[in-house]
Amino acid sequence: MAKRVQLFATCLGDLVLPDAVADTQTLLLEAGYQVEFPRAQVCCGQPAFNAGHRAAARRVARTFVRAFSREAPVVVPSGSCATMVAHYLPELTGSAPYDVWELSAFLGREGVAVPRRNEGRTLAYHDSCHMLRELGISEPPRRLLEASGATLVPLRRPDLCCGFGGTFSVRQPEVSVAMADDKLASAGKAEALVTADPGCLMHLRGRAARTGALPVVHLATALARGALP
Amino acid sequence: MSDEIAQPPERFRQVARRKLADAHVQEAIDFSTQRLFDLRTAAWAGVEDIEALREQGREIRSQTIASLDRHLDVFRRAVESRGGHVHFCKTAAEANARVVEICRRVDAKLVAKSKSMVSEEIRLNDALAEAGIRAVETDLGEYILQLAGEHPVHIVAPAIEKTKEDVAELFSRVEGRPVEAELEALTKAARRQLRDVFLTADVGVTGANFFVAETGSVVLVTNEGNGRLCSSLPRVHVAITGIERVVPTLADLAVLLRLLARSGTGQKITVYTTLCTGPRREGEVDGPEEFHVVVLDNGRSNLLGTHYEKMLSCIRCGACLNVCPVYRKTAGEAYGPVYSGPMGAVLVPLLVGLERASSLPHASSLCGHCSAACPVKIPLHEYLLDLRKDLVDRGVTSWRERIAFTLWSYAWSRPWGYRLSTAVARLGQPLGGRVGPGKVWASGRKLPPLARRRFRDRR
Repeated sequence: MAKRVQLFATCLGDLVLPDAVADTQTLLLEAGYQVEFPRAQVCCGQPAFNAGHRAAARRVARTFVRAFSREAPVVVPSGSCATMVAHYLPELTGSAPYDVWELSAFLGREGVAVPRRNEGRTLAYHDSCHMLRELGISEPPRRLLEASGATLVPLRRPDLCCGFGGTFSVRQPEVSVAMADDKLASAGKAEALVTADPGCLMHLRGRAARTGALPVVHLATALARGALP
Repeated sequence: MSDEIAQPPERFRQVARRKLADAHVQEAIDFSTQRLFDLRTAAWAGVEDIEALREQGREIRSQTIASLDRHLDVFRRAVESRGGHVHFCKTAAEANARVVEICRRVDAKLVAKSKSMVSEEIRLNDALAEAGIRAVETDLGEYILQLAGEHPVHIVAPAIEKTKEDVAELFSRVEGRPVEAELEALTKAARRQLRDVFLTADVGVTGANFFVAETGSVVLVTNEGNGRLCSSLPRVHVAITGIERVVPTLADLAVLLRLLARSGTGQKITVYTTLCTGPRREGEVDGPEEFHVVVLDNGRSNLLGTHYEKMLSCIRCGACLNVCPVYRKTAGEAYGPVYSGPMGAVLVPLLVGLERASSLPHASSLCGHCSAACPVKIPLHEYLLDLRKDLVDRGVTSWRERIAFTLWSYAWSRPWGYRLSTAVARLGQPLGGRVGPGKVWASGRKLPPLARRRFRDRR
């Protein structure tokens, strides 16, 4: 019998990037998993949590506790939501920890081989801060992209934030956008910038749309369909 | 308390905008923070087990802070036994008054100062000027800023945004003739301009990177040697520092010096590390006749025993500034006139009260780089997150924001509420970029459209 995983779409994934979530599902199915989508899922509460609204965050985070079981790993196509669920949600909601995995870390641990859908492409990978520093995930997404045939060019300062930061993006919009510009410019001659976090993606893609910078693509999409059409 | 460093809510964004528009500042700050980052990274890599060293530093600092009173008392007795004086001051005004009093008693006209962020915190130079006493900064960066009439924008490299051309202009003005914008010429000019100050000053005021309880020593860590001149040439030496900078023993100091130099400037040890222990003793050829240590509280003791106590462990190395992507874009001035970057964003609200620095906990993308760079492992970004919670709990956050998040949370506390509210949001989408946060977002970025069919509707 196929191994089960629970897919957490995240609110941004569900509402803004449903294709990336579908790509996540595709990758998991291709790898032979039985993918469950708990219908009662909503959001991990991170937007409110990071803005300091703990009561509001708790109210929303409880939907996660009600929706997900502890019987199968939870896979999330978002570094920051995975961080929220792994590091903050149990204490916030007074619940036991979950076996939660950011997508690339999960595929990496399971030794999943991805098809060569990025043969000949030059890509850059952008680390989401929470994924990099709180979950310590930096190699798996890069190895997967390389395994898919891509040549990776390093960003000038891969450790620097892209400027999204949740409500920071609208509290300090000028600084936030300037940080995005630095990040996009640092991708050099890459054909696309790949990231595993819907927050960073929305911000960087939104900025690139205004400046004509390179395409910004979700890791799941890059792996499931190729980073460029 | 500490009105000097309070920050009105809109100021951060206003200053940030101005700094972003200044290509000259952007280039200077980018270059300097990158350099300090590279140096620090290399220095950390050169330590056999940096994590063990950080842990040792964290342990020393937190243990010391946990019994601060005892260590301060040991320090006071050690200083007094060597003929020095310790002045514990509760407020900025008290500390200023004490320094002015000392200066007046010895009829001081000129004070030579070496770098001290605490003196910036209490605006000591203003207090001295009011008393008719001229204070001259002798740290090169501070001297440049004093000439320019500005305040430090970095706790370690105060004039980080100034280029050599800026400095040449300022120095030329002093000399009344052009000074070449070359490092050697500038250094010579500074030496020329400052030498007399060292030789004629009546009082030398220095900071103290640490002070050692067991020996009663004040520790100055500098690269220019000006701290050593300020503390040994004038008749009177006044060191001014915060209560939290005490270190129990010389052995503890050795650990912290290893961390400070590496984290601040990427050095194994700074060019000058000076331990000043009491006034000149019989038979000694130099040193001051009087030795005073002003130990300032100014809100620090309010942190003792609280969740934020670890902030008192800060050794002011500046590593968190150099890695902070927000600091790199805004430069220090946006945070206020003294403490900047992540350590400032945490410390200032704790010292002056959240209400008076409410924008600072939000002046961060919570990227966590600061916590990872902190040599004594202060959880800076988690503190920022906790301060944001305090802002909400104490009603400092606007009622509009609180209502918005509360309504949102009730809607999203049930799947049907989520489905309904997001369906409505999709209908209202054309308005999204024209009001509220959507409008702010759309000022620099395309607002992402909500998908026609949510992922959940596809299954």
